[in-house]
Amino acid sequence: MERKDNQTPQGEIARILVEFLEVAITSVVFLKGVYPNGAFERRRYMNLVVHKARHPQLYEYIHVAVNGLLAFLTKDLIDRVAVVFLDDGGLPIERFVFKLNVNQSYSSKVQQADLEFSLRSFLIKLPLSEPLTKILPPNCRWEIMAYFRALPQASTSKDAEMWIPSDAKQWQQPAVITPIKSMSSEPLRVQVYAEDPNPSAPKN
Amino acid sequence: MSSKSNSASRSKRSLKSTSSNPSSSSNHSADGKRKKTDQKTLGMAWGANSRPSSRTAFRNSPFTDFGSYMAVKNQKLHEQFDAAASSSSHSGSSSGNIFYGVSIFVDGYTVPSSQELRGYMLKYGGRFENYFSRHRVTHIICSNLPDSKIKNLRAFSGGLPVVKPAWLLDSVAANKLLSWTPYQLDQLAAENCNQAKLSAFFTLQNNDAPEIANNSVDDCDNQLLIKKDEGRVSLEQTERCNREQIDHLQLKTDRVMSEEPSCSVESSCEVKGLEQSDCSPLDRKNSDLENKSSPCKASVSHCSNSPHNQNSCEASSSRICLPTNQRHSTLSDPNFVENYFKSSRLHFIGTWRNRYRKRFPSLSNGITSGVSGLYTAGSSHKTAVANEKNVVIHIDMDCFFVSVVIRNHPELQGKPVAVCHSDNPRGTAEISSANYPAREYGVRAGMFVKDAKSRCPQLVIVPYDFGAYEMVADQFYDILHNHCNKVQAVSCDEAFLDVSESEMGDHELLASIIRKEILNTTGCTASAGIAENMLMARLATKTAKPDGQFYIPTGKVDDYLYTLPVKALPGIGHVLEEKLKNKQIRTCGQLRSITKESLQKDFGMKTGEMLWNYSRGIDNRLVGVIQESKSIGAEVNWGVRFNNANDAQHFLKNLCKEVALRLQGCGVQGRAFTLKIKKKKSDAGEPVKYMGCGDCENLSHTITIPMATDDVGVLQRLATQLFGHFHIDVGDIRGVGLQVSKLEGADDSKCGNKRNSILPWVSSTSVKDKNQNQISDLPKLGESDAWRPSSGVLRQPSSGIKESSTETRAGLSSSETGTHNSSVLPPLQDLDVAVIESLPPEVVSEINEMYGGKLLGFISASKSKIIDINTHAASTKSCEDSGVAVEGTGSLSGAHLVESNMVATDKVMKWDKEEDPNYAAPATLSRRHIMPSSLSQVDSSVFRELPEELRKDIIEHLAHHEGPEYVKGAFSDVSDKQTEVEASDLSGLWIGNPPKWVKKFQISNCGLLTIFAEVYQSGSGSCLSSLLQCLMSRILTGGGADGFGNAVSWLHELFKQYIDLKITTDVEEIYVCICLLRRLTGRSEYLLQVYNAIIPHLQASMGENYGGTLCIPSL
Repeated sequence: MERKDNQTPQGEIARILVEFLEVAITSVVFLKGVYPNGAFERRRYMNLVVHKARHPQLYEYIHVAVNGLLAFLTKDLIDRVAVVFLDDGGLPIERFVFKLNVNQSYSSKVQQADLEFSLRSFLIKLPLSEPLTKILPPNCRWEIMAYFRALPQASTSKDAEMWIPSDAKQWQQPAVITPIKSMSSEPLRVQVYAEDPNPSAPKN
Repeated sequence: MSSKSNSASRSKRSLKSTSSNPSSSSNHSADGKRKKTDQKTLGMAWGANSRPSSRTAFRNSPFTDFGSYMAVKNQKLHEQFDAAASSSSHSGSSSGNIFYGVSIFVDGYTVPSSQELRGYMLKYGGRFENYFSRHRVTHIICSNLPDSKIKNLRAFSGGLPVVKPAWLLDSVAANKLLSWTPYQLDQLAAENCNQAKLSAFFTLQNNDAPEIANNSVDDCDNQLLIKKDEGRVSLEQTERCNREQIDHLQLKTDRVMSEEPSCSVESSCEVKGLEQSDCSPLDRKNSDLENKSSPCKASVSHCSNSPHNQNSCEASSSRICLPTNQRHSTLSDPNFVENYFKSSRLHFIGTWRNRYRKRFPSLSNGITSGVSGLYTAGSSHKTAVANEKNVVIHIDMDCFFVSVVIRNHPELQGKPVAVCHSDNPRGTAEISSANYPAREYGVRAGMFVKDAKSRCPQLVIVPYDFGAYEMVADQFYDILHNHCNKVQAVSCDEAFLDVSESEMGDHELLASIIRKEILNTTGCTASAGIAENMLMARLATKTAKPDGQFYIPTGKVDDYLYTLPVKALPGIGHVLEEKLKNKQIRTCGQLRSITKESLQKDFGMKTGEMLWNYSRGIDNRLVGVIQESKSIGAEVNWGVRFNNANDAQHFLKNLCKEVALRLQGCGVQGRAFTLKIKKKKSDAGEPVKYMGCGDCENLSHTITIPMATDDVGVLQRLATQLFGHFHIDVGDIRGVGLQVSKLEGADDSKCGNKRNSILPWVSSTSVKDKNQNQISDLPKLGESDAWRPSSGVLRQPSSGIKESSTETRAGLSSSETGTHNSSVLPPLQDLDVAVIESLPPEVVSEINEMYGGKLLGFISASKSKIIDINTHAASTKSCEDSGVAVEGTGSLSGAHLVESNMVATDKVMKWDKEEDPNYAAPATLSRRHIMPSSLSQVDSSVFRELPEELRKDIIEHLAHHEGPEYVKGAFSDVSDKQTEVEASDLSGLWIGNPPKWVKKFQISNCGLLTIFAEVYQSGSGSCLSSLLQCLMSRILTGGGADGFGNAVSWLHELFKQYIDLKITTDVEEIYVCICLLRRLTGRSEYLLQVYNAIIPHLQASMGENYGGTLCIPSL
C-alpha cells in the first residue's frame, strides 16, 4: 500500500514530509535540552547540520511515531503534529505545533528538490527562534501528539495502530501562539508555531 | 639454598618471584624516583604456579609461606654481601666507591661471569643482587637476551637499563663510573638510537646564553634528588645514575610514556636547559643521544621533586599507553610548533615563494605588468592559439633536494642517495627525494625508509640542509633573471621563462647556456624543456630529464602528444586517470577523439576543457601570471599528542603565532578561519609511521568574522572558540591545522573594514549628532536613510575624496539591500569596492544594469531629498580619479549617484509644491530620520531573536532619535480637497495584481495612504510585511484632520482583509506585520488607531483557527 502511495504526488510529499518531521522533531527535542547534548550526534540533512538521537529508543520513538503518520499524511488526515513538553504532573508546559496541509488535488509531479528547499528554511529557523532557545525546567517529559482531521479506521494501516488516543491534559485558557515559521508552496503548506499557556509578555 | 654457584639458573626464577613479593611493592611508595616503573607483571603468575611445588618443600620449615622465606633469604644474602664488601674494601680501600649507588643484577651467561662481576661490585662499592628486585637493582647486566625478552622488555627489566658487562669493566679501568648508554645492549640500542631527531635540529639553533642559568636549576634539582635518595649518593653520582635510570626508561620499546601528565611548562624549560648543557661539548651524534635522554630526565626529576604527583601519574600511565617517545611530540617540547616548521621540507617549499617575492619584488611585479601590457591584444580573446613566435623554457633542477646535499660529497656521486629526516633502517620516516641511481632501484618519494632500504640496501640516506637549499634556490633564480626578464617561479627549483622576446635567436642554445651556468654556480644539474607554451615545455622537461634538454617544435606537438599517456599531463591524477581508463582512454591521441562537449559533460566544465586543450597541446596560460594564494594556514599532523586541555591550548597558541607570522609575511589579513582537526579513529591503533597521525577522521569548523585580521590575539581567541566546538578528547587528536581564507590585502582592509565593522555602526549614534552639527559642509551626506554606516566619513572629514566616495557607495548599497534582500544578486554591500574598481568598464556597467533598475526604484522611494551637488560632483570626480570610467551609466557609483540625484531633485520639486513654505527645512527632518532608517535595515525577525540587551540598546538608540514632536510632524496643509471616495467600496482590497487598494490609496488625498501605495509601487513586494518594513524608513505623514477617519478605516480594512487572507496559511507573516505595525504606532497616530482596532479581530481569528492568541512581544 505504501508503495502505491509513493507513486502519487501526495505519497511523495508525505514521504518527504515524514522525513522532515523526523528531523525537525529531533531538533526541537534537542534544542529544548530535554536530554544532554551528548545524546545527539551531528548529521547533515539538506546540507544543514542537524541532530540525530543517538539513543536507540529515543531514535525509535521519533522514527516510528512519525513514520506511522505516512499513510494519514498522504490522505491529508493530519491537521497538526505537536511536540508537547509536560511537567511532572503531566500538564503541558509548552507545545510546538507543526500544522500541515497536503493539497489533495495536486496532481503534477512533485519537485523533491523544491520541496526540500522550502522545508530547509524551517530547519534553519528552528535553532534561532526564541521559544526554542529557552531551556525547559528539569524533570519534564515530552511526547509527540498528532491531531487528526478524522479518526482513522483501525485497519487503515499497521502503523496506524501505533497511535493511541491521547488523554493529555489541556490548558484551561487559550494558548499564546508564537509563530516560528510558515511555508506555503503549491502542494504543501507547513507552519510551525509554539504554544505557551501563560503569556510571557503582557498582552497589549 | 644458600649456594651462589647456581645463581645463574636461579636468578631467572627469582626475577619473577621477587616481583610478586608483597614487601617489595610496599616499598615502592617511598621510592619516588622510579615510581611508575613498578608494575605487577609476570611475577604473580610464577608465584601462583610454583607455590604448590614449593609448599611441600617448606611444609615443615619455620616459614609460613614462600614469600616470607624469600624475604629472609634475601636479607641473609645482603648481610653476607655486606660482610664480604666491608672486608674487601678494608683490604683495598684505595679502590674507592666507583659503583656507589649501583646495584646490578646479572642475567644469564656473561663474560666475565656473574661471580667475577660480584667481585667487582664488592670491591668498588656497588651492590650485587642475586634476585631481581626493581627497587634494589639499578642495572641489569647481560650479554645477550632471548627474543621473547626483547619483545617484552618492559616486563622483563622493569624499565631498568640493560647493559653489557663491559660497562663495569671499563668503568673499573677508567676508575670512574662511565655513562652506561654506549654500553646498552645492542639489540636494544639499535631500536632507539639511529634516528636523527627533530630535536637534533632544534638544539643546533639554540644559543648558549641560557645555559648557565639552566645549569643552576639543574643543580638544584639534583640536590633535591639527593634528599630523596636518603643522602646515600653523592651529588655527582646522583646525576649520573639518575640519568642512567632515566635513559633506561626510553629504552623500553613498549614504553608507557605520558607518565607525567603534570609535566608543566616549568619542567619543560628544564628540558631545554639540560639539552643545551649536555650537548654543547659533544659532537652531533652524541648530542642526538643526549638529547633524547634529556627530556625524559627532566620529566622524571620533576616527578621526583614532587612525589605527591605519583598517584595521579601512575593512574594515567596505566591508561595511556603510547609506544613512542614523547619528546618529539607536542608534550615535551614547548616550542614544538616552531621547531616543527623549522625542520619541515614542505614548509620550506610552501614559504619559499614569499622569500622569492621579497627577493625579486620589482621583478615579479614588473613581469606581471609587462606581460599584461604585451599581451593585451592576445588576451582579450583568449581562444587565440598560442602565437608561433612564443617560446617558453621550463627549467627544473634534477632531484633538487638530493643533489644540493651531495654536491659537496663526490664519493656519493652515482650512488643511490635519498633525503630523509631519519637514517634508521627500520624507521618509518618517509623519503622525500631520491636521486636517479636510487630511483632505478624503485626508491620513490613518500616511501618509508625501511621499504626503500629493502629495495636498495646500499641506499645512502642524507638529512636535509635547508640553508643550502635556500642558497641554491637563490643562485638558481639569479641566473634565470640574468638571462630573461620574464620568469615565473613555480617552486624553489622549477621555473618557466618566456624567451619570445629574447634577442638570442637560438633558444636551445640559450637553454644550454643557462643549464651550464646553473651547473657551474650551484654544482647541481638542471633539465630544460623548450616549446611554444608552458604545457609543452613542461612535458618536454620530463623527456629531457635527467640533465638534458628537449625541444618540441610547434610542428611536432601533435606527434609528441599522440602516444603520450594521459597520466603525463599535468592536472591528471589517479582518479582522473582511472576514469579515463574506464573509457578506454590511455593516450592523448585517444583523448583527442572525444568532443569537448562530451568531455565537459563527463568531467565538468573546467576539467573537460582542460582535457580537451591539453590533449591538443593548447595552453593559454601566460608566463609570469602568478596566482595569488587563496588561503594561508599551518597544519601539523606529526608528533601531535596531548595529555590535557592545557597542552592543546598551548599548542593552539603556538600554531596561531605561526599563522599570524605567515599572514604578516604575506601582507594579508583574513576573514574566514578554519580549524581542522585530525581525530584518531576509535578503532585505530598507533600509526605505522613513527609519531604519525595514522587513520584519522578529519573534522573542521569555520568561523567568519566581519573584519579581516592578522592579529595573534584575535587568532588565538578564534582558534580557542573553534576548538571548543569540537568536543573531543584531546588525547585523540593527531593533527591540528589552522587555515585563514577570504584574504584581503592588509592595506585595502584598512579602509574596507570600516564598513564591515559593527563598531562604527553601533558607536556612531552619539558621535553622529555632534558631527553633523560640527561639519556643516557635509550634512547632506548624512541625510539619506542609509548613511549611518558611513559615519566614518563624518568623523574623518579630512580622509579624502576617494574614501568618501567609497563610503558613499557603501551607503547606497546598504540602502539598496533594504528592499531587495530577497533578490538573487548578492547585496551590493557584499561587493568589494576595490574589486569593482578594477573591473573593466563593460563589466561594471553590466553589473550596474543588474542592480540598476531596482536601485533607481529604491532611491526614488527613499527619503533623500537633496544630495549636495558639491558632494555629488566630488564623488563622481573621485570615481574618475580612482580609475572607473564614467561613461553614461558606465560607472556603478557615479551612475547611481547621478540617478539618485536626479530623482531626488524631482522629488524635491514635487514636495516643494505640496509643502508649506514655512515648514521645517528638509535637512532637519532628515537628520531626525537617521536612526529609525538604519533600524529599518534590520530584519524584524532577526531583530526579535537578538539577545535582550542588544535589542534594548538598539531600541534606546531608536528612541533617542525619535523625538515625539517628530511623530506628530504631519504636514499641516496637504491640499484640502478631500476626495470623497466612497467608504463602502472597501471589499476585496487584496484582489488583483497590483491589489485593488494600491490604486485606491494612490488617488486618495491622505498622505499616509499615498505613502502606502507609493511604497508598494516602488517594489516592496506583494506581502504586507515587506511593505511595512519599507515604511519603517519613511517619514509617515498623516492626512489632514478631515482625512483622519478615512485613513484609519481604510487601513484597518486593509489589515483585516490581509489577516483573513493569511490566517490559515501564514501566521508568521501576520505576526511580522503586527510586530511592524506595532513599532510604527510610535510614529503615527493613525497607525496606533489602526493597530488598536485590528488587534481584537486578529486575536479572534487566531482563536478560531489555532485555538489560541497570538503572542505579541513587548517592544
